[in-house]
This record gives sequence, structure tokens and C-alpha cells, in this order.
Amino acid sequence: MGWKFDQPLYCLSDEQEQKEMLELMEKTKFGGLSEGNNKLPMPLVALCGLIILTAFMITQPIWGQRPNAEIYTDFVALMDSPEVQRLATGEEKMKFITQQAMAKATGRTPGDIERHPMSWNDLLNVSASIKEVQAGGGQYDLASYNVIGNRIQLANFEGYVQANGLRERKQPWFDKGYAIDIFYVSYFCLTMVLVIKQLPHFTRKPDMSKAS
Amino acid sequence: MLMKFLFAKNEEIPAGSATIFFGFSSIFWFVVGTGLGSFNAAKLAFPDWVTGTELFAFGHMRQVHVLAVILGWISMAFGMTMMYMTPALGNTKLWSEKLGLWNVFIWNVGLSLGLILLWMGITSGREYSDLIWPIDLVVIFGVLLPLGINVWMTIAHRKTQGIYITNWFFGACIFMLMIVFLVGNSPELFNLTGLTEAYMTFWFAHNVLGLWITPVAAGIAYYTIPKLTGNPLYSHRIGHLHFWSIVAFYSTPASHHLMSAPLPEWLKSFASVEGVLILIPAVAFVANILLTLKGKWSMFVENLETKFSITGVLLAIPLNMQGGFQQTRAINWYVHGTGWIVAHAHLALLGMSSFLEAAAVYFGLQQMLRRKLYSLTLGNLHYWFFIIGFCVYWISMTIAGLMQGAGKIYEVPYIDVVVAEHPYMIARWAGGTMVFTGNVIWLYNMWMTAREGTLVPKGRYAHELAYER
Repeated sequence: MGWKFDQPLYCLSDEQEQKEMLELMEKTKFGGLSEGNNKLPMPLVALCGLIILTAFMITQPIWGQRPNAEIYTDFVALMDSPEVQRLATGEEKMKFITQQAMAKATGRTPGDIERHPMSWNDLLNVSASIKEVQAGGGQYDLASYNVIGNRIQLANFEGYVQANGLRERKQPWFDKGYAIDIFYVSYFCLTMVLVIKQLPHFTRKPDMSKAS
Repeated sequence: MLMKFLFAKNEEIPAGSATIFFGFSSIFWFVVGTGLGSFNAAKLAFPDWVTGTELFAFGHMRQVHVLAVILGWISMAFGMTMMYMTPALGNTKLWSEKLGLWNVFIWNVGLSLGLILLWMGITSGREYSDLIWPIDLVVIFGVLLPLGINVWMTIAHRKTQGIYITNWFFGACIFMLMIVFLVGNSPELFNLTGLTEAYMTFWFAHNVLGLWITPVAAGIAYYTIPKLTGNPLYSHRIGHLHFWSIVAFYSTPASHHLMSAPLPEWLKSFASVEGVLILIPAVAFVANILLTLKGKWSMFVENLETKFSITGVLLAIPLNMQGGFQQTRAINWYVHGTGWIVAHAHLALLGMSSFLEAAAVYFGLQQMLRRKLYSLTLGNLHYWFFIIGFCVYWISMTIAGLMQGAGKIYEVPYIDVVVAEHPYMIARWAGGTMVFTGNVIWLYNMWMTAREGTLVPKGRYAHELAYER
């Protein structure tokens, strides 16, 4: 198989090879069937481009994650306060705590707290673990933990290795899954261009009447 | 007759025998599979239907239905098409009719045994890969390997210089399915548990769909549409795009079935992008087939096989639009674990794939029997029972799934959701029963074709002759 790179967007095969391929298409009947040498229609190419773009855009940002343990720091700080202890029921305590925490929080945290409400019983269960991590009892900080029901769990992000030898467990702005995808899709597109452009140029139509 | 041929010399077995046995077996299993589906759906619509017997409990019956359809109907229809399309496309004969007949014999015996074991509750306990490991080994070495040897050797002995795209799909997909069966069933063979087991289970489930059921069905359409219309396949180039994008993008997104599982997030992100990219082979396939049909759209109305085939191709559009987007985190959160997914699975297996296979089985059996279809009226009745029944099923389950999703997110008491979706469960049963009824008609029609169908003269195709009934 010869390659010709002087007109890469026209055809990657030399003249002799294109001629042989066309002759093959003309004379070959696969059980009575034949194949056309038509191009990839432009709408199809555009649609493929749109699909690739959409694939990356619609799957970002990493959406629907479990709540980060760090957003409940103020919950834990407030739970033993006299104002909270005075309240009679768990619902009342959590309503007060949530209002106080949201008023104090900045950035994305108020929205995160609103989307991930917590019950008093769960807070009682989870608070000891949060305090332990805050006190520096583990190798990771609170932002690296997810709250799952009534316990905390190291998040399943596998980020880059940090200076201390541990993998980053915080939600990245650009997941490495997307980075792998960019290379994967790029290689696919490159391979397809090489495969498709190696065929005779689409303006050269095989004469199907020659087929046997 | 099968027993007689099993021990005959290969040269003494009439060409097309394996195709015919595979063809009738596939229709038989379609009747069984959809009959079980109708029975199971009745249990969901009418909870007092057949109670008190453990063997007829939903938990015993569900997987028997699923695997009767996948390994009985769909895969045997694939086997049937491979038995006649592979040699036809290589201008040669099947490498071994005898191997084909042994293949169909072992397949039927092995599947019957596997389904009886499932029915008795002897199962691996993993969805889609429910069969226990000894039966898995029968599937790999007793079913897929002989099928593969026959197809690969027929391709190797072809009398054409090139290999037509249908045979790319056939040859590659058998190989890929063997790998999927070996690796996907490794949790049972090597006692893998936990998240690894969950991942491997859905790696298997995804790839059985992505590297077997949908691509082989597409490969079949690359044969039937040019053959029926007499048009050349529109573009060899688009065929390349379709085939290679299946290999690249359909084999990789298995973890998008487990978006809520504690798998590494990067793996889910990667899989989610790949899941949308499944639309590339889908648009390539649909474009290539519909452009091949150019100038022959009247056949969609007039010709039964084209009608089935193009319906299957058109159903690939909603199938892949759903499939591409429902697996993203934002949508999966809502529809995961609901009837929406059941509707989608049926759109793939009962919709897109089954319509394409039905066309090929209709066409192939008439060609190999050298007899014209017994009754066009019954054929059309089958088509309309099939398409209406399927649409009723698909739409009702999609609606029920959206209701279940809303109930899940807004924490509606489960029993309230069960009450609200009850009418849709009845519609599901009605739709499934219509499909089953259509298949009984089909089996009768093909049986009568074999017995009393008009003989097709040598050198002619059955679809070129006028119907007599």
C-alpha cells in the first residue's frame, strides 16, 4: 500500500492504486451486491463534529455528586451551642442550624447545603468523624470526603499524585476522564481520516455496469 | 431430519440446511421468549395471576424470558443469517453445513438446559450473565466457537478479492462476543465480588448489546437493503466510519451503567463521553442505509422484508438518541432503575434489532427453501401486530418510567407509584401479548411456506415473484 501526501485532503493513495481499487469495485459483486464510492455527506461530517462537541459539553461539569463533608463544618460547630440545645425537636434544630450555616457560607456552599439537607440523627452520627478529620486525624482534609447518609467516606476522585505521595481526592474542574477522552477521540479521528482518505477520491465513480 | 444430517457426510447435506434449521429455531425461540414476556407482564399487571407456585414466581421467570430472547431468538437469527449471507457475499458455499447443523443442535440443547436451570433458580445471580459457568462454557466453546469457525473459514475461502462490510461485522462480532463472555463471566469463574463483580456484570451486559446485538443487526441490514432494492450500498467509506466507531466507542462505556456506583469518577466521566459518541456509528449506519434506499422508498410500503428492515433502521434513531443521553449524570440520576430503562432495552432488542432480524429471516428462509412466502396477508398481520404491540409496550413503559423517576426523586411512597403506574402495566402486557400473537402467526406462516409455498424458479429471488395469497 503506497502513501502519497502531496494532496492529503484529496487522496492519500497514488494514481495506480486508486485505479486498481476502482477496478476492484467495478468487477466485484458480493453475491450480487456492490458498493458505491460516495463521499461522507457534509451533514454527516457536521453531525459527527456536533456529537463530539456535545459529548464533552453535556457531561460536564461532573454533576450529581454526593455532598462534600466540608459543607457541614458549621453544622458540627453549631450543634452543641446553647441556642440549638434549647430547641425541642430534631427538625427545629436542623432548621436553625441550616439557616445559620447558609447565612454564613459563601460561594457555592449555600447552594450545596440547600441541595443536600441533613437530618439531626445523621448529624449526630457523622459529627464525630468530621471532628476527627478536622483535628488532623487523617491524611486527607475534609474537602476530600463525601457524606454518605450517616457516615463520611473518602471521595472516589482519583486525581493527580500530590507532593505528599497521595492522590488528590477533591472534585477537579476538569476530570482526567475527559483528558483521556480527548486523546482517544483525536486518535480515532486521525485514524478515520487516514482510512477514508486512502480510498479513491469520491469524485471517481466506479462503473457498476462492468460488474460480473 | 436433523438427526439424519448430523451423521451424514458434508457433501451429502443439501446447501442451506443449517440456515433452515437455524431459521426455524430462531422463530420458535421468539415465540417462547415473547410468550414468557407476556406471562411475566401479566404478573405485573394482574398480581393475582398464577400465584402460590415458586417456579412461576416473577423472580424465576424474568431471566428465562431475557435469555430465551437474547440467546434463542436474536442470536439464533444471527446464526441463521451468517449461514446464508457469509457464503453468498463471498460467492462461495458455507465452509461446513455439517458443522452448522451440529452448531444449531448443540445450541438448542444447551440453551434448553440453561433455561431450565434458570427456571429452577440455579443461576449466577447476575443480570444478563445469569447462566451458571458450565453453561457459559457451553456457549463459548459449543456455540460461539463452531459458529465462528464456520464464518471465519467461509470468509477465508471466499471467491471475491475484498470482504463485504456485512462479513466484517459477522467475523469481528463473534470474536468480540467470545471475549465478552470469557471476561464478563470472570466474577463467577474467579469468585470476584463487590464493585469488581458489579463492574464486570455490566461490562458484560453493555458489550453483549454493543458488540453483538446491535452491530450484527446493522451488518444484516447492509445485506438485506441492497439485496432487496437492487441498489449498490451507498458508501463503502461510511461503512468504514460505522464499523470502526462501533469498535472504538461501543466497547468502552460500560461503566455508564453504574453512574451512581463508587467507581472512580474519571472512569465514569470517560464512559459518559464515550456513551454520547455512540451516536457516531448510529448516524453513519442510518445515513448509509437510508441513502442506499434512494429511489426505492415505495418498497417500504410494498415489500414485506423492506418494511421490517427499514422499520428497524428507523428505530435505531430514537434508540441511540435515548442511549446517548440517558447515561449522562444529569439524566441518569432521574431515570436509573426505572421502567424507562426497561423501555429502552426493549427498543434495542425488540425494536431495532428484532425488526432487522425478522426481515433477514423472512428473506433467508424463502431463499433457502426456494419457496415464496405462504401468505402476504399473514406476513402483514405479523408486521402490524409486531409494530403496534411494540409501540404500546415502549410508550407505556417510558411513561411509567418517568413516573417512577419522579416518585423516586420526590420521595413519593412506593405504593403510590405502584398504584399510579398500574394502567401502564396493563398496557405493557397488552402490547407484549400482541407481539407474541404476531410471532405465533409468523411461525405458522413460515411452516406453511415450507410445506405449501410456491416454488421459486432457479435464478430468481422470492421477492421478485408475485404473492399468491
